[in-house]
Amino acid sequence: MLAGGPADMSDRMSATGSRRRASATTRRGLLATLALALPAVRARAEAGPLVAAAADLAFALEEIAGRFRAAGGGPVRLVFGSSGNFARQIRQGAPFELFLSADEDFVLELARDGLTRDQGVPYAVGRIVLLVPHGSPLAADGTLADLARALGDGRLGRFAIANPEHAPYGRRAEEALRHRGLWEAIRPRLVLGENVGQAAQFVTSGNAQGGIVAWSLALAPQLAARAAHAPIPEAWHAPLRQRMVLTRRAGPAAERFLAFLRGPEAREVLGRSGFLAPADGG
Amino acid sequence: MSAGAGLRVELRQEAPIPLAVELACAPGELTALVGPSGSGKTTILKAIAGLYRPRQGRVAVDGEVWLDGAGRIALPAHRRRVGLVFQSFALFPHLSALGNVAAAMGHLPRAERTGRARELLRLVHLEGLEGRRPAELSGGQQQRVAVARALARDPAVLLLDEPFSAVDRATRQRLYREIAELRRILGMPVLLVTHDLEEAMLLADRMTVLHRGRTLQSGTPLEVTTRPASAEVARLVDVGNLFAARIAGRDADAERVLLDWHGRPLEARGRPPWPVGARVAWVIPDGFVVLHRRDRPSRGEHENPVPGRIEQMVVLGQTARLTLRPAHAPELPIRFSVPLHVARRNGLAAGVEASVSLLAEGIHLMAEAEDGRAPP
Amino acid sequence: MDWTALRLSLELALVTVAVLLPVGVLLGRTLAFHRFPGRGLVEALVALPLVLPPTVLGFYLLAAFGAASPLGRLAEALLGRPLVFSFEGLVLASVIANLPFAVQPVQRGFEAIGVELRDAAAACGMPPLVRFLRVELPLAWPAIATGLVLVFAHTMGEFGVVLMVGGSIPGETRTVAIAIYDRVQAFDDRGAALLSAVLLAVALVAILATFGFSRRVGRRLG
Repeated sequence: MLAGGPADMSDRMSATGSRRRASATTRRGLLATLALALPAVRARAEAGPLVAAAADLAFALEEIAGRFRAAGGGPVRLVFGSSGNFARQIRQGAPFELFLSADEDFVLELARDGLTRDQGVPYAVGRIVLLVPHGSPLAADGTLADLARALGDGRLGRFAIANPEHAPYGRRAEEALRHRGLWEAIRPRLVLGENVGQAAQFVTSGNAQGGIVAWSLALAPQLAARAAHAPIPEAWHAPLRQRMVLTRRAGPAAERFLAFLRGPEAREVLGRSGFLAPADGG
Repeated sequence: MSAGAGLRVELRQEAPIPLAVELACAPGELTALVGPSGSGKTTILKAIAGLYRPRQGRVAVDGEVWLDGAGRIALPAHRRRVGLVFQSFALFPHLSALGNVAAAMGHLPRAERTGRARELLRLVHLEGLEGRRPAELSGGQQQRVAVARALARDPAVLLLDEPFSAVDRATRQRLYREIAELRRILGMPVLLVTHDLEEAMLLADRMTVLHRGRTLQSGTPLEVTTRPASAEVARLVDVGNLFAARIAGRDADAERVLLDWHGRPLEARGRPPWPVGARVAWVIPDGFVVLHRRDRPSRGEHENPVPGRIEQMVVLGQTARLTLRPAHAPELPIRFSVPLHVARRNGLAAGVEASVSLLAEGIHLMAEAEDGRAPP
Repeated sequence: MDWTALRLSLELALVTVAVLLPVGVLLGRTLAFHRFPGRGLVEALVALPLVLPPTVLGFYLLAAFGAASPLGRLAEALLGRPLVFSFEGLVLASVIANLPFAVQPVQRGFEAIGVELRDAAAACGMPPLVRFLRVELPLAWPAIATGLVLVFAHTMGEFGVVLMVGGSIPGETRTVAIAIYDRVQAFDDRGAALLSAVLLAVALVAILATFGFSRRVGRRLG
């Protein structure tokens, strides 16, 4: 019964050496580990300067970038958002090379703090419009008279503007509403978009009965199909002087794109996209 | 036995678990560590195996020091050649029976492990079940795998932690026989932790009684159960008849002591260290209580006769277990056994008057309990 | 379909998983097996991202690694570009945000092995590394896999932290979740729907996988 008993065992004791035998399970586990730990070889981000642009440029700038590329200028990478956020991100070291702000103040402040190459150049003046989705109880009335009535008779549920704290279009919307004496009454009804694009999205999705957004957005086919708009008088708010600037990180490609933006072809696109030419003519 | 052979253990610490342990186990000997739960039995096994580090102590096996002094030597568990069978068996659930046994063979060349593991499984009567996972084995089979795995390391000492508590009674009886046989074959010190006295009496050559981390007495099971070192030990090993008495007189030449047991004089043997008038504890094991027969007088009837009344008779197989209330102190029942036919022939039954003799050589005197719990 | 964003999210998730695998196993095992002063604090810190809004995490990461901070300048000197608004920054943020998802299941997995089984392995003569490879890993791997799947799925879907420290730079920090947000704002519902469906599928597969793993654990130890 005891073939190879303890005596036998102790003989073998001398043949030590902890050769490790990885079981099948362990081996599978190790393989999986290795596969996961393999450095994921990152495809280098596609080339082209990184451009931070105010959300009101979402449609116009895509078209201009397409033309720039067609003209042999190479690719550019466009990021749209709120101008205030971009200004903050540039301060924190975001790798943008060109910044197109909906409000020149952001550019001038960055310039004063030495974060840009210079004070930049104006590229357009923006307009705000009342945007009303199809089927809304609100009329597309640029004088805001129907909005005032709707506030009174309870027709208005939600009203969208961009966040006035950091989005220039939100600020102008607030100014216009204050000018008409509607601000306090409409405040409980407001939904704030992170930028003007989101405010417009709130309107076109029907989640708000109306909103004040950029004319440039209201003109875009995607929006025009879903919502009507009417311009709000320029005199009711401070001008939306828009300025672009090269940051300290800008390279030659960004410089070329800035030059293209000042050229006639870009001007033409901006002109029919709801932007006015800058007062000083650039 | 040479000075270094076998297992020698000395452990001392105050906290966190108080330990004052001294025990030895010769090669081929089986020592049972008995004591109530919480008495530190498992901690001692762990300290021997290197799984618990006491503040102070010394563990040596066959002259090889595993632990010494204030931590100057403290081999890690994997470098101590121990075979350890856990109470819950602690088999590796992801490995087969064969894999479990082979897992403890790091000291062998890889090519030899499987063959050797098969041999060990055959030794514990598990041939044919090598490929089963622990979950596919019965409790008794798991216990055998655990034993085979403990032997796989070619251990210098085998440690068994309540190895029979998780198997059913019938399996346990069979495993007892197998362990007894294995021990004979293996010739290494075997330490068995158990709270089951019967198990200890059945399997052990020596017995060490533990309480609250202290070893109270070591000796053969017979010694410990008939001559407990203290009332505490007597209580722990459940020696039945534990009483208190006063020393009434002594006869040094004749090695006789006279006791006053609640007014009844008793004679005992020996030269106890206590003066006349001192209070002592005493025990008399079952086997030294002799029934006075009606049919014929037995020898020794004149020795310490105690008349009384049978309070209870429990028949277990061919044995009658009796409780006698002595006439002089009915609150101090004496327990003893006689063969069933003797009980029948003498007409013993509850309520019947009977007398017994407490044989002087069986009366064992001890100091009064240290914990102040005086025997009745 | 924004393949760049999808690819970026996959890369971010895989790199996060690769970084958190050793971290999770090491930290989870340490917390499971060892008692040491400050252990409770470490456990609390690991769990913090679970209850903290991602924006709070993002805020502190911006404060710690922004261009104005000493750490941020150091990182820029080492990397040649700022850590925030870069892929590397996202990896850092994602690793921190996912710490509890990697550590906690792994810790539970190692805890489930129990002290007896580990003692048994030591008493079988296995040195620590062999114990780890032959006993602990085979028993804990379903828990480790659960942690990694959770990390993967959670990274694919992470939004707040990425938005705060990454912005939305195509091919660099615009992950699927951010791209969905951008698509919606660009009135591209179809694009948003496609990307959302991808994330939904990833989440569903991940949850099914973790259920599968936990059943495995149950069979093993039960």
